[in-house]
Amino acid sequence: MSERIVKVCCGTGCLANGSKKVLEALRAEMEKRTIDIEVVPYVKATGCNGLCEKGPIIKIYPDDIAYYHVGLNDVQEIVEKTIVNGEAIEKLLYLDLKTKKRIRSHSEPDFIKKQTKIALRNIGEIDPHDIHDYLAVGGYQALKKVLNISGDDIISIIKKSGLRGRGGGGFPTGVKWETCQKIDRFPKYIICNGDEGDPGAFMDRSIMEGDPHSVLEGMIIASIALNSQNGYIYIRDEYGLALENMHRAIEQAKEFNYLGDNILGSEYCFDIEIVRGGGAFVCGESSALMASIEGKVGEPRAKYIRSAEYGLWGQPTVLNNVETWANVPVILEKGNEWFSKIGSPNNSGTKVFSLVGKVKNTGLVEVPMGITLQEMIFDIGGGIVGDKEFKAVQTGGPSGGCIPKELMHLPVDFDTLEAAGSMMGSGGVIVTDERTCMVEFARYYVAFLAEESCGKCVSCREGIRQILKILTDICAGKGQESDLDLLAVIFETVEKASLCGLGKSAPNPVKSTLRYFRDEYLEHIRDKRCRAGVCKDLTEFYIDESLCKGCGLCKKGCAVDAIDGSKKQPHSINQSKCIKCGNCIDICKFKAVKVR
Amino acid sequence: MDDKIQNRGGNMENEKKMKEIIFGHSAEKRYSLAIMQDIQREFNYIPREAMETITEYLSIPLSKLYGMATFYKALSLKPKGKYVIKVCDGTACHIRSSMVIVSEMEKLLGIEVGGITPDGLFSIETVNCLGACALAPVMVINGEYYGKLTTQDIVGIIERYKGGEVQ
Amino acid sequence: MESVTVIINGKECIAQKGEFLIDVAKRNGIGIPHLCHHESLRGLATCRICIVEAIENGKKRVVTSCVFPVMRDMVVETNTEEIKGMRRTLLSFLKAEAPENDQIELMIKTNGVGDYSRFAMNHGNDCIMCGLCVKACEELGCNAISTINRGITKEIATPYEEPSSECIGCGSCAYVCPTGCIKMEEGSGIRKIWGKEFKLLKCSECGHYIMSKEQYEHANQKLEIPAELICENCKKKLIAKKIVEIC
Repeated sequence: MSERIVKVCCGTGCLANGSKKVLEALRAEMEKRTIDIEVVPYVKATGCNGLCEKGPIIKIYPDDIAYYHVGLNDVQEIVEKTIVNGEAIEKLLYLDLKTKKRIRSHSEPDFIKKQTKIALRNIGEIDPHDIHDYLAVGGYQALKKVLNISGDDIISIIKKSGLRGRGGGGFPTGVKWETCQKIDRFPKYIICNGDEGDPGAFMDRSIMEGDPHSVLEGMIIASIALNSQNGYIYIRDEYGLALENMHRAIEQAKEFNYLGDNILGSEYCFDIEIVRGGGAFVCGESSALMASIEGKVGEPRAKYIRSAEYGLWGQPTVLNNVETWANVPVILEKGNEWFSKIGSPNNSGTKVFSLVGKVKNTGLVEVPMGITLQEMIFDIGGGIVGDKEFKAVQTGGPSGGCIPKELMHLPVDFDTLEAAGSMMGSGGVIVTDERTCMVEFARYYVAFLAEESCGKCVSCREGIRQILKILTDICAGKGQESDLDLLAVIFETVEKASLCGLGKSAPNPVKSTLRYFRDEYLEHIRDKRCRAGVCKDLTEFYIDESLCKGCGLCKKGCAVDAIDGSKKQPHSINQSKCIKCGNCIDICKFKAVKVR
Repeated sequence: MDDKIQNRGGNMENEKKMKEIIFGHSAEKRYSLAIMQDIQREFNYIPREAMETITEYLSIPLSKLYGMATFYKALSLKPKGKYVIKVCDGTACHIRSSMVIVSEMEKLLGIEVGGITPDGLFSIETVNCLGACALAPVMVINGEYYGKLTTQDIVGIIERYKGGEVQ
Repeated sequence: MESVTVIINGKECIAQKGEFLIDVAKRNGIGIPHLCHHESLRGLATCRICIVEAIENGKKRVVTSCVFPVMRDMVVETNTEEIKGMRRTLLSFLKAEAPENDQIELMIKTNGVGDYSRFAMNHGNDCIMCGLCVKACEELGCNAISTINRGITKEIATPYEEPSSECIGCGSCAYVCPTGCIKMEEGSGIRKIWGKEFKLLKCSECGHYIMSKEQYEHANQKLEIPAELICENCKKKLIAKKIVEIC
């Protein structure tokens, strides 16, 4: 082997884990040694690998070796053993918890193997800084192809593929384009929603960081179908790396004439501008996002006339989210039949999820639609951290709901999740365990919406205010049984009388937890007890003397020195000092810390 | 603190910088948010002088601009601390007890979320999601990430900033 | 202009395509309760009281009549049990927001109110954030006030909550306010509003105070011929006098 490639993941997750330093150290180490060795390895910064939990991650090709949790101390050994001699370092390989074996290749762990990558196809494989990398994996081939077919044909392929919007609503993408195409009013605009306001979701960020050209290519294809000349990408301002990589990609695409005037010698002209979001969840709503691009406060408008007809600056506009755009080039390249065979009926293709919370393998996963929640959380996600008891999974963000463990056999697709009282949303999957209080969890989402609603509609603003008041009361032990019926009355009005999607779906987190975890609500109200040990007013931790081994772990982990006890003797908690942070219950290996 | 704000706004160099940022954009209404974001980035808040200059430059009423500046969470009309502590309260962090971290941080610094310490050194904010869910609960201080936090870690981290060990 | 047929509460009404539902109903003698809608200002759709049930192609849905454009033939019911129930809940929200307000109380008398005994009550300010005042100020070209913040902390204020240099003290905001919560005080030729004082000018005929100096100047700036300093009453009298003279 004359040349090796070392790929260091530089997604936000790995960067936060210190991958930049590892990358620099690797480069420095190589530079130091080039004279001595024949191999000339180089390090490439790639986008997010998805398995953020195990970062920093590095991959070495062509040996196909992947290392996890790489620290600065490991750099020298990696260069010496793996890069110079092609030898794998056991301790840095992936540990399969089922078989207790180390796995050498990045594509081997269940986490990766059970996935089907379309939107994330290039993430972690190509250097997002370099258009040549994208071209080398077939990038912009779909664009070249569509330059020779009609707009009708493009739309027909997208329609037949069955692609539905990945931003949350699941509206058929082809139908949206067609509606816009039929309107004979110009200019038309194309927008990419990269605002990703759902807390706990980061797939769009990852795509923009790791494969910006696929988003651009998708948008350019739509511009040809719709004869649009201007596009906008609305990106969260906090996403520094995504902004940087998208900007660079636009410049490169212009240089190569994939963007700009007379694209590749055709009569089509298309330009893309980046607009930074101001930090408002409601701007994920299309009309609010458009208002924000126009330089206004991001308040939604009544959408009795769709934005495909009356959108940005009152002109026909197509808006799709990042993941949807990234799917477009592949569909045109490989054909609608190929795409519609993946997934389940009426839900073709894959969906990217960010699997987070109390799950072992936190990270981004892309799976065919129709995979069960069980497979996603246990096979791919590796189950629950610290072997606590799994409780429920929350999908769809603040507009979605919770699905209890009894329903883990359900397939993940737009329609099934909605029927179960939740929704697909943009793809956040939050795994909760016995230490999650479902009442407080619902309250969290309502408090989020209380801050994030634009505040225009009485039904949404005031409805949320009163729901929040009631839930706060319940969490503080001041709830009444009649509250649960009152909540149902409020929900109906908030849902039906609010103007936009945020308001209409605002009751979902509470509704779904009430549906599946009513007993927890009643326990808070009647028994003044929070079984999860989260609601401080209703929580008292104690140590079960018969289970305590006196290991002292809790004592060491207590920030306020509230735990007493000598070694190998049962410990006890000093209630007057305890701040109920729950550290002790979370670290106890013998389940000796209990909630009264 | 008031004097400090005055100085920041009145300082010739700051004024020059501010004008550079504002006039660097075309005078179109749609750039109002972008201009405010750039000012925010440079000064850590939007000084009143900047608001007034933008109003004039883009012919947007001050009331509309003020409405925007208070609507978007990324913008602030009040100065922030030298070190801005952003504790993530995204869902993944929340269910890993991020609010316990927040309340302990508030106790430690003697200020509430949104506040600034009297010495101007720290301010605390909660943010919706930093997208670093694998590190939950996580916080960022001036770009530096601190993951898998427990209540025990906080004092040590803050001390390092106070002692000037971290810049 | 194309016309369409809307059957509202059983009554056949002819509407121009694109016309707002609330206007069609009103023209046909069907009143839909509302708070934030004003004839001369475009619909704001914030109070939600004017919701009605619309049935198109057999599909029922709740729409906001002040901003719903009638595009096709359809059936509308303004007072179904479901709609009335939601209005009562909305009024319970408003009652909590402005517990001492007479206008809300009046509306509750005719429409009823849901249970608000468990709600957080907001005492001291009757503003229901409908935004009519902001709209009125904007239409006049003054833009002295706007909504600030968002979510449950939304408010209506002048920039920096200080007296605004743009405010001309015309009081339009106070006139359109459905809950009458904008404080405007007048006495000895001075008007106080939004924390600012305005000197009032007198009608050149009867000597009553009619408008602020700034308002007069603002009007003059907009009109090419200087406005007369004359109150509505005296204006009518003068016209009547002129007609008598001509005849």
